[in-house]
Amino acid sequence: MADPRETRVLLEHAEDPALRTIDGYRGYGGYATLEKAYREMEQDEVLKELEDSGLRGRGGAGFSMGKKASFLPRGEMAKYLCCNADESEPGAFKDRELMQRNPHQLIEGIAIAALAADAGHAFIFIRGEYAEQADILDAAVAEAYEAGYLGKDILGCRRDLELVVHRGAGAYICGEETALLDALEGKRGNPRLKPPFPAVQGLYGGPTLINNVETLSNVPKIVANGAEWFKGFGTEQSPGTKVVSISGGVRRPGNYEVELGIPTRELIFGLAGGPEPGHEIKAFYPGGSSSPVLTPAELDLPYSFEAMGEAGSMLGSGSIIVADDRVSIPHMALRTARFYHHESCGKCAPCREGTNWTVKMLERVVRGEATPMDLDIISSVQQNIIGHCLCVLGDSMAMPVSAMVNKFRDEFERVIAEAGMPIAIVQGAPEALGAAT
Amino acid sequence: MSPVDGAGISNPNLPVDIAVTKGRVPGRSEEQIPELHEVDCPPELRERIEGLMARYPDRRSASIPALWAVQERYGWCTPDGIRQAAAVMRFTPADLESVASFYDLLHTDPVGTHRIEVCTNISCWMRGGDELLDAFVAAGEGADVHITGFECLGACDIAPMASIDQRYYGPLEAAEAATAIEQLNAGADVLPDKALAARPLAGDTPPPTGRNREPESRNRPIDGEVRGG
Amino acid sequence: MSAKEVTIVVDGREVSAVEGEMLHDAARKGDVEIPVFCYEPKLGEPVGACRMCLVEIEGIPKLQTSCSTPVRDGMVVHTRTEQVKHAQNAVVEFLLVNHPLDCPVCDKGGECPLQDITMGWGPGKSRVIDEKRHFQKPIELSPLVAIDRERCILCYRCVRFSQEVSEDSQLQLLDRGDRTFVGTFDDRPYVAPFHGNITDICPVGALTSYTYRFRARPWDIEQAGSVCTLCPSQCNVSFTVRDEKVKRVITRDNHDVDDGWLCDRGRYGFEMFEAEERIAGPRLKGGAEVEWDEAIAAAAAGLRAAGGEVAAIVGDASNEEGYLVGRLLREGLGSNDVDSRQSRGFSRAAVVRLAQPDLTIKVREIDDADVILVAGTDPLHSSPILDLRVRKAIRRNGARLVVATERPTALDGGAEAIARYAPGGATHFLSELAAAVGGAENVASPLAESLRGAEKVVVIWGERIAREGDGAATALLDLADACGVAGAEGAGLLEVPDVTNARGLREAGCLPDAGPGLGAELAGGRSTEQIRAGLISGEIKSLLLFGADPLRDFPDTPAWEEALTAADHIVCFSMHENATTAKADVVFPLETHAEKDGTVTHPDGRLQRVRPSASRPGIVQSNIVILSLLAETLDLSTGIDSQPTAFAALTEAVPFYSSITEEKIGGQGIRWQETEAASTIPTPDGGALSSEPTTSATGEGLALGTYRDLWAGPITELNPPLQFLTPQQRLEISPADAARLDLKQGDVVRVGQNGSSVEAHVLIKERMSEGTVFLAEGVQGGNANALLNGGPVWVEIQKLSGVDA
Ligand SMILES: Cc1cc2nc3c(=O)[nH]c(=O)nc-3n(C[C@H](O)[C@H](O)[C@H](O)COP(=O)(O)O)c2cc1C
Ligand code: SF4
Ligand code: FES
Repeated sequence: MADPRETRVLLEHAEDPALRTIDGYRGYGGYATLEKAYREMEQDEVLKELEDSGLRGRGGAGFSMGKKASFLPRGEMAKYLCCNADESEPGAFKDRELMQRNPHQLIEGIAIAALAADAGHAFIFIRGEYAEQADILDAAVAEAYEAGYLGKDILGCRRDLELVVHRGAGAYICGEETALLDALEGKRGNPRLKPPFPAVQGLYGGPTLINNVETLSNVPKIVANGAEWFKGFGTEQSPGTKVVSISGGVRRPGNYEVELGIPTRELIFGLAGGPEPGHEIKAFYPGGSSSPVLTPAELDLPYSFEAMGEAGSMLGSGSIIVADDRVSIPHMALRTARFYHHESCGKCAPCREGTNWTVKMLERVVRGEATPMDLDIISSVQQNIIGHCLCVLGDSMAMPVSAMVNKFRDEFERVIAEAGMPIAIVQGAPEALGAAT
Repeated sequence: MSPVDGAGISNPNLPVDIAVTKGRVPGRSEEQIPELHEVDCPPELRERIEGLMARYPDRRSASIPALWAVQERYGWCTPDGIRQAAAVMRFTPADLESVASFYDLLHTDPVGTHRIEVCTNISCWMRGGDELLDAFVAAGEGADVHITGFECLGACDIAPMASIDQRYYGPLEAAEAATAIEQLNAGADVLPDKALAARPLAGDTPPPTGRNREPESRNRPIDGEVRGG
Repeated sequence: MSAKEVTIVVDGREVSAVEGEMLHDAARKGDVEIPVFCYEPKLGEPVGACRMCLVEIEGIPKLQTSCSTPVRDGMVVHTRTEQVKHAQNAVVEFLLVNHPLDCPVCDKGGECPLQDITMGWGPGKSRVIDEKRHFQKPIELSPLVAIDRERCILCYRCVRFSQEVSEDSQLQLLDRGDRTFVGTFDDRPYVAPFHGNITDICPVGALTSYTYRFRARPWDIEQAGSVCTLCPSQCNVSFTVRDEKVKRVITRDNHDVDDGWLCDRGRYGFEMFEAEERIAGPRLKGGAEVEWDEAIAAAAAGLRAAGGEVAAIVGDASNEEGYLVGRLLREGLGSNDVDSRQSRGFSRAAVVRLAQPDLTIKVREIDDADVILVAGTDPLHSSPILDLRVRKAIRRNGARLVVATERPTALDGGAEAIARYAPGGATHFLSELAAAVGGAENVASPLAESLRGAEKVVVIWGERIAREGDGAATALLDLADACGVAGAEGAGLLEVPDVTNARGLREAGCLPDAGPGLGAELAGGRSTEQIRAGLISGEIKSLLLFGADPLRDFPDTPAWEEALTAADHIVCFSMHENATTAKADVVFPLETHAEKDGTVTHPDGRLQRVRPSASRPGIVQSNIVILSLLAETLDLSTGIDSQPTAFAALTEAVPFYSSITEEKIGGQGIRWQETEAASTIPTPDGGALSSEPTTSATGEGLALGTYRDLWAGPITELNPPLQFLTPQQRLEISPADAARLDLKQGDVVRVGQNGSSVEAHVLIKERMSEGTVFLAEGVQGGNANALLNGGPVWVEIQKLSGVDA
């Protein structure tokens, strides 16, 4: 059963496979909030509840969900809601869990958020790799249509909502909200210039609310129990619970739902079991691969948007990747850079060429074909990327790579000097860690 | 003056064809779009794509789903398949190829019947993702399987892992690669006890008791990703 | 829409700008140059991709792209701070990470924005020692354009052109990230009528024309401005001249005419200046080259011998040339038999009505139209640049388009309503449409719905409908009336004529029933068709052809064959040898638009100047000089001996050209409607136009329609680089008719009518109406003109061989 250090709100009953079905979900009180919202609440009431709750986006940027919804202009024009289920950042796998185990919670959240946004058409943009979860969602959406929670004239309240599960086809950049819109419009997933922001001019040129799976999954609970209830969890600036994905060098990787503000050490050591016996933590990404790495000295920080920000990193999507003492940081930097290089959409020059050049330089570093001066160039190139790109994908590589070079410069120099010497970079064999299954 | 031969001969007695096409795509050059009679699109594929288009306020939104449909039908996004989809959707084949080539899961070159993507991103790499990929590539030699290394598949909790025909499996041992390929070839269930679907929530599992094996000490060359199999 | 003036501060200097315009453009007004690569307003919305134009704006923490930031009043902008320089250096360095430094062998060297910006804004040194990305060195993107993908900096200008301007959507980005490359579907060649423009807009040497590669370096060339006279669009061009020869044609951006684009015909159609078929001096029948005086004497003798039974047809000519030919005929030879049309045309009364200034739209006004009606023409084939204009109006300003034509057009995809009437049915359909706009319920009602109530209605109509006689003009004028076009701001008609300078030639006096200035009705002049009949019957003995090739371009080839054979004497001015020159007794060479000095009149009334840029081959002389020598020999004293004197005589003869001077024409041209003298255009003489009843014909078989294909004609044969575009004769047929006749795509058929026939390959088109088939005119071997006879034509189709046989 759940560890007492967890606070399961979104993952409540998640161990029950029946939760996936509409009957199972309703058995735990599901869709009651949708009925209440559609029958009894006005758009502004729903909006107010969401704004008051202080719910911050769980997709990375941590922007207030209610506020974003309130930015949508009012009027007759078609408005849209997009659920961002592209989850492709290394280290993040919480949305997968939420969709797989509790799809109806997300659908209910979408339906209520659509009320707040006055949207008549909603889409779940799910990464193409999550075929299993997309199948589950398809089935759940069909059930919800059947039950009259979606479609025309929902519950006889004269409101319509069409919901389409749209599968992507393998491109991390589609998680960026404007790239998601282009991809959903059937184009290459390139980010758009902002402004205009999607809230004003998004999908098909109409006002569009875009939120993460976890953000939207919170909506039914907030509307059911009220903003005050929600604020009872977490910290003042980071209210609520958070599903945290923990992976890498820990004994029990997985998703854990905790109150925001819990000490980071509690997450990594308490819940995820800490590093393998005999090993120590060398560094960790606190919020996915785009967050600048932190060191063990920062393990006691509260896990919240504000504390991670103050530490020069970010909570991001809430995904912790732990690197223990066997991991070569330069190699990890290279893995990280390679990811962004592979995923850069290529539209803007600093990201396209910056990620490519960084990878080439880091490859030289691990091959021992670099000099310490190259490390300065690597750092400088990261500075040349930051703030100059069209979207933040470029920065997402530059920030962690820059942090690694700065915080672990000795190790980079050592790797350059000792290239060709055996260096442990592969951490553990799977069977050592596979007991969890 | 009056013209010499046959004043003002007009030809009004053939019917006038009128087409009212609200909901147009501004200005697309019709000339560049293949016509249906030229592409020989299988009726099921055509119906499927038309159904997909109907799901969206703008038919163009169906381009990724339509390409998935083409890939399912032909194993990959063949030029002929793309032309068929383009004719049904009324876009240029180039429009669709451009989209297909952007995405890692849509293949514009032939691939095997089965597809295995092995994650080699940070968390999987730390736990042997590269070795796993090597094992799959070795085991898949000669089989009708397309094997690639892949960026994070969103399942770091079961690292190292792989997606086999669009289903996730992990944590995998290198030795299981051969088993998986045999099962694929035999049409059997693949690694049933390693399927993600069967896994409990992290916090619901007991703390690990496993032993700790020392990692192999070596410096793998990691330039040049392994792609293709 | 009154644009609001705002003031911004750029680098400490106050600059006044228009609210909403992009900061980059506003800064330029204050003489502050912000470097850009991807930004090109002609390509539509800014994309902000290259990041070269980052600037600091007070109050915004992050640098902003000036290409995509609209100015607001009071904006304070810095373009040379340390932060901005850092960004600029960074971006230049990034762009060079993968760019090969092969400038010495690159065609763009010396005129390369990347070179210039690297010098001006780059860090001045390179830290990149890593391998650059590799692609196969230049490969064929098309038979005309080479692509060197290693040099590409992915500014997307070319793909945006393909998608946002020409809308052929063939050129695309493929793959992702730094693997991205510009390419086409399945590596097929990029064949589209405007694709050469991508070589103009590419800011590096990635896209180059095969016709120019390694031909010259920027320091040994000169640029000379002229006007392309290969079609009625009259685009402004600049010839790249080396050693007095044209090496390249590029655009000379004129927003009022071409918007800065060229079609491939204008861009690549210059090698014919030196084609083998080019006529380099006068000759007599049978090919004997002679001196000028001998040729002129022979021509004059033949013309005079006809004793007034002489006619002239003018085709490709400047206003001055047309004017001179008119005088030669009327004053020198005493005949009014002058025409400038290929087939039947409108009477003077109709021409005068349609020429009224308040009816004619200015090309750039199409940009802001509410509704555009394209009637009886496919601009892509007949005036390509207009096709881009119409697309732009739709795409950028939401103009609505309706199409009423015989044949499917390239613009159909953007139309909200389309009517397909039978060949020869324009008069009928347009008058129905006029009635429907006025409220009647009829076959045209669905189209009328789009036009009714719209304010800025633009009607683009093809001269082809004039083949149906004055009834078509009446219908057109009624329609204009119903749409409230006359005098309405931004509304009007625009003709797409059959020949380049049709408007100018009519106004200069090349009509059988009107002299220069469309002046008072002349009696007794014969029109083109009547001239042909007169030749056959022997009433006309001698014919002067100036830039006209009836055997290729005019309907009813058999009749023309007969007429030219019957003529006693033919004088033919032509640029190249062709079937018509083969029949001439005296052949004079013509200058090309790179050699000629003269004016032409755009269909919207803009007089533009064609200027000599290249040397003439052989002993070719100025056409004006030759015509005036010919006149002199015929004892006609014109006082003209050069272009300036010819121009002066023309503007004196055409009252509404009278306030136009060469200075006023300048580089951009001037519309006569916008000069003081415009009011001197004759007003319509009261009364209705000739209202001969349109007789409706019926026939057996399938109704034949014909059209002029962009590439059918000597242009593809005389320019080796364009030869791959030479069209094959294709019988366009609806799927239903094809099925009925058991025809498959690609089958070879014989299309016959009344003893004449042409061979064609079957092309099934879903958008074709049942009962109608189409063939192209001017195709070498199988010219559809052979089947036309001035009225509706029905054809029989006989299958010769099947594809699967
Ligand atoms: C490169 C990039 C990738 C992103 N990927 C995701 C993603 O996979 N899922 C997600 O919810 N947000 C992602 N985001 C954040 C989104 O742009 C957006 O901020 C978010 O979906 C908004 O939802 P929220 O306010 O509920 O967090 C990404 C952002 C960037 C720049
Ligand atoms: S930062 Fe990268 S991903 Fe974002 S627009 Fe630029 S190239 Fe594309
Ligand atoms: S010119 Fe502004 S980003 Fe390219």
